[in-house]
Amino acid sequence: MNIPFILSLIVFLPLLGSIVVMFMPGTKEKEIKNFSIIISLFPFILSILLWTGYDYTQGQYQFVQDYSWIPSLNVRFHMAADGLSIPLIFLTTLLSVLSFWYSSRVIKYRVKEFFALFLMLEMGMLGVFVALDLVLFYFFWEIGLVPMFLLIGIWGQEKDRPQYSAIKFFLYTLVGSVAMLLAFIAIYLQTGTWDVTAIPAMMPFASNPTLAAVAFWAIFIAFAIKVPLFPFHTWLPDAHTAAPTAGSVILAGVLLKLGGYGMIRILIPFFPQTFRYFAVFIAVFGVISMIYGALVSMAQWDLKRLIAYSSVSHMGYFTLGLAAAVYYGDPESQIIALNGAILQMFNHGIITGGFFFLVGVLYERTHTRDLKAFGGLSSRLPKYYAVMMVTAFASLGLPGLAGFISELLVFRGAYATMPAIAIVGIIAIVLTAAYILWKIIQYVFLGEFSPEKWSKIFDVKHWSFGEDMAPFELITMAPLVFGMVLIGVYPSVILRMINHASQIILGSAY
Amino acid sequence: MEKLLLLTPLIPIFPLLAFVIIIFGANKNNKLSAWLAIGGIGLSTLTSWLVIAGTIMGGHHVQAEGWRLPIPWMPTGEIVFNMGVGVDGFTAAMLFMVPLVCLLIFIYASEYMEGDPRYARFFAYVSLFAFGMLTLVIADNLLLLFMAWEVMGLCSYLLIGFWFEKTSAKRAGLKAFLTTRIGDVLLFAGMLILYSYTRTLTFHELFKPETLEMLSGTMMWGIPVSALISLLVFGGAVGKSAQFPLHVWLPDAMEGPTPVSALIHAATMVSAGVYLVARMLPLFAIVPDGALRWVAIIGAITAFFGATIGIAQNDIKRVLAYSTISQLGYMMIALGLGGFLAGVFHLLTHAFFKALLFLGSGSIIHAVEHGAHHVNDHHTDPQDMMNMGGLYGRMKRTAWAYFFGTAALIGIFPLAGFWSKDEILAEAWLQWQEAGFMSLPFWAWLAGTLGAFLTALYMGRQIGLVFFGKPRTEAAAHAQEPGNRMTIPLLVLAFFAATLGFINVPFIKGGWLHHFAGEVHAASHALHLEAIPFQVSVAVVSSIVALGGFFLGWAMYRNLKAGQQDPLEKMLGPVFTVLKNKYYVDELYTAIFIKPTVKLATLCAKFDYDWVINPIVNTVGRIGVVSAIISAKFDEIVIDGLGVLGTARFFKWTGKELRLTQSGQVSNYLLTIALSSLTLVGMYLFFIRM
Amino acid sequence: MTIPLSWWLISATALFSIGLYGVLSNKNAIAILMGLELMLNAVNINLVAFGRHITPLEVTGQIFAIFVIAIAAAEAAVALAIIIAVYRQRTSINVEQLDSMRF
Repeated sequence: MNIPFILSLIVFLPLLGSIVVMFMPGTKEKEIKNFSIIISLFPFILSILLWTGYDYTQGQYQFVQDYSWIPSLNVRFHMAADGLSIPLIFLTTLLSVLSFWYSSRVIKYRVKEFFALFLMLEMGMLGVFVALDLVLFYFFWEIGLVPMFLLIGIWGQEKDRPQYSAIKFFLYTLVGSVAMLLAFIAIYLQTGTWDVTAIPAMMPFASNPTLAAVAFWAIFIAFAIKVPLFPFHTWLPDAHTAAPTAGSVILAGVLLKLGGYGMIRILIPFFPQTFRYFAVFIAVFGVISMIYGALVSMAQWDLKRLIAYSSVSHMGYFTLGLAAAVYYGDPESQIIALNGAILQMFNHGIITGGFFFLVGVLYERTHTRDLKAFGGLSSRLPKYYAVMMVTAFASLGLPGLAGFISELLVFRGAYATMPAIAIVGIIAIVLTAAYILWKIIQYVFLGEFSPEKWSKIFDVKHWSFGEDMAPFELITMAPLVFGMVLIGVYPSVILRMINHASQIILGSAY
Repeated sequence: MEKLLLLTPLIPIFPLLAFVIIIFGANKNNKLSAWLAIGGIGLSTLTSWLVIAGTIMGGHHVQAEGWRLPIPWMPTGEIVFNMGVGVDGFTAAMLFMVPLVCLLIFIYASEYMEGDPRYARFFAYVSLFAFGMLTLVIADNLLLLFMAWEVMGLCSYLLIGFWFEKTSAKRAGLKAFLTTRIGDVLLFAGMLILYSYTRTLTFHELFKPETLEMLSGTMMWGIPVSALISLLVFGGAVGKSAQFPLHVWLPDAMEGPTPVSALIHAATMVSAGVYLVARMLPLFAIVPDGALRWVAIIGAITAFFGATIGIAQNDIKRVLAYSTISQLGYMMIALGLGGFLAGVFHLLTHAFFKALLFLGSGSIIHAVEHGAHHVNDHHTDPQDMMNMGGLYGRMKRTAWAYFFGTAALIGIFPLAGFWSKDEILAEAWLQWQEAGFMSLPFWAWLAGTLGAFLTALYMGRQIGLVFFGKPRTEAAAHAQEPGNRMTIPLLVLAFFAATLGFINVPFIKGGWLHHFAGEVHAASHALHLEAIPFQVSVAVVSSIVALGGFFLGWAMYRNLKAGQQDPLEKMLGPVFTVLKNKYYVDELYTAIFIKPTVKLATLCAKFDYDWVINPIVNTVGRIGVVSAIISAKFDEIVIDGLGVLGTARFFKWTGKELRLTQSGQVSNYLLTIALSSLTLVGMYLFFIRM
Repeated sequence: MTIPLSWWLISATALFSIGLYGVLSNKNAIAILMGLELMLNAVNINLVAFGRHITPLEVTGQIFAIFVIAIAAAEAAVALAIIIAVYRQRTSINVEQLDSMRF
């Protein structure tokens, strides 16, 4: 099916929704919630059409929209989607729908503002994934920051220092963005265009490796902060801890992917040789992130912080895969590594997104995330236990679930191009199993169940949906769990598209 | 015949369906759940028999070369990675053992687990476990094998920690998962290297001579790639099959319910490691004196070392656990010496008699627990053999089944264990004759024979302690034989423990199993695939050793009184303490691996958030704040104070001073005008005219 | 036989100086006004003299002088009116006492 302006619809429907919500009276909370859920369903449905409508026989970019926007600067309104962005668009719209659905039950105050901001956030994220003009890209990149900043700052838990975390998040990202903007301008001055599809052919700074390296690192650090790569990661645990549940989900599920997406979309085609030159260095940092993130997770006692650090570890796999993909190697291994990296992004989105929902489930009931406060919940909350088990084992890379496939591909690709680093990175797999089973599963679910302890923390007054996971929570988790199993059992459903994109991206860059 | 083989993919599906149905609905109904699980594995058993029939009918072609069903699974660049299942003689042999033993264990468990609050959950987990093992044996590629392998890891975690209220149980589950995970990671690495070099993981493609040639010819880090991969793969097997030094999880796995122990020790988990090595044997063998050596060495160490610990344990299941470790060592010896079929044969027979022994110990524990309930005693540990005694009279069925299992384990003619263990020792013996004294086969034979003695000793000790003498506690005195659902599986297993050896008796067609399963690796010339002739000397030596050990143990322990010191402890002194504490390996690992890791994790967290990284970020932030304050002050004092306000102040001051000239006197003004005019005119004249 | 220009100018200067002195030294507003008239007339003499000297065939200087006389008359009228108004207010036309426009 061919819908004209499908990408614009996907990106700007949430904005429209946001504006409408702003004009709705704040007292009509129910209507606002329902409206937001419905409006977010449209981009979701459209993104499915995008997926099914993608034509594997055609070239990379499809659903193109290309109009002049600011002629004096040669800025264009250029949008298109390819095998790299479609899975991420799908992920974004899916997690957004689930976040709206979940938030509509648990957000209790300043409802109108919450939903208006969240819709705006969705627009910003989606825009990044479709923009093919550097200015447009930057515009969407920055626009997502503001609603997220407010979401953390306003709906954060008071004891988690939301203001501090929100400002840290905002400034940290902004520092990177500014460097990136300068590099974009430098590229523009050299090539005379902002067009992502046109620049690679002009090979910016090919004649001057030093300048190329400077521009590369300026952009890379902006993305690395977002990913986040060690040592630029400390905003993440604070932001996650403070953010409301849906905010954490989006933060982990989508915002971190913006950085990874940018590296693949912009850095590989623009600076293939520079990237290759620094690949080993970047891979080392990826491995450090993996192992170090896992170790730090292991020492956490706050469930949400633990998962936040596990994100650092998991995105380290992504970085390793990416670095391996651009390093010297046979094309097949490179493609496998890039497939793994992209799939790792997607998997991390559904798995860690799911994790944050699950933390929210517990937190809404007990108002605590201290691992030592729980114990023995496995028999008390069997449904919760089951869902958590699937998510946890997907996260630690159990075969048959999503995480394993991407780990396999990343390590397979990385081994072929940089064996020593890949072998060291494998240690992270054991550590991941250790912190997930030891910390999360054992402390929360196993052991003797103590009714007194539980009745002390379980807040019956403010929670009316029952002890075990309520139907609305199960519905929230169902698509994610389904995705984990489906990708784990039959990865082709998504790898076919990713593989197509990887082949083109690497094929044209190297 | 092809049509029968097409049923192969269904074999693991039934237990998986049972798992799914129990999890998603049937878990409210205990009976239904148990029947679903039993039905699932029962259907698998039937299907397996059909597949085995197909394999037998398929003749040499199917048995040696295998039948495969590849499924395109994952695009990797231009090509597609194929997943798939396959059957050959080896798989068919496993398909006889795995579902049947699982089925018997399930039936047994349906009575054993009665009254447990998580009865339904138990059957869901064991069904998943069976699914994992069945998938593993029918996998035609290493990746699917690995996936099934890990699913079993998950199930072992869930089942060992099944009674997670007990701290020891939840720790044991974690320990099992993490320890095997270390092995798994090695296997994973091996798999990646293999995949990177060969672009495929399908067994029959891996074992093509040219592929093996390429792998053995390529060097990496100073050793042939094939050897590196083999060692890594073996690392996986060491973890899963509880070989030294990763054996520590298996005894702790006794924290799980007894049917689980039987499942892990016989049909599933630990067999997987041996299966893997057997499956990958051509790769191991391609470089002479390479990785196979290490398999034999580790096997020999484990066989002896496991048996020594076994004699000093008091927990009835722990004795069996160390026995399993030791027996797995035998299998590794066989595989390490290139005796593919000897290892596989022992794997099959061991599954039956070890399942029998575990289920037997389960019914003993069940009986003692029952007795303890009867006398209102809640302190007696029902698993401690010191609390038993004289049970023969109270539970004859179990006792006889147990005797058969014991006899099979220690290798009494003509039970199953005699034939299979003997083949291993004969293999070692023959190679020793060729390679000479003090060679590896010699040590392997020695370790095996000493191990056989120790095996007999601890089994004799166990039989003596459990079944003979007088009951040492009230609980044991009131023990009661469990019901039919528990005892009938014991009898079926006892039948196989007694007779299964005949499928490979050397006198009949030179070993039937040899022709059926032994030609799987026919393409690999480095292996000893021909049937071994019966070695009378070996058989005599090991029979003497076995009978001697057994009667020694039996005699020492049969009349042990309550509170009396362990006779072996009296004899061995401090050595016994070391054995009782399992050579302190656990303590060692805690000290050198676990504690440092946890410490490192804490340090990293401190480094990250309290000491370095986050403080740097915060310092940068604070520098921003401080420079903001400085800027604000600069602005206030310099820019605003001196610049803007200063200018204003200057004019204010000058205005204030100059206004004094405004006297209001017209004449003053006029004078000023006049003088000014004169001055201007003067200046005009002076400057311009000049 | 004409009188040289310098004579005219010298006499005009003398007249101007007398007027200036009158303006500066007198305290009576009317006297100052009279001094001013003298100065204006000195200017008139200058204008006529220069007019005769530079453009003898035209009467520009004289026309200027006539303008000045007319304006002086108007000015005198206005000034006297102001002086009368001041006198009515203050009962004095001594300029030393009229210093209310100082700082």
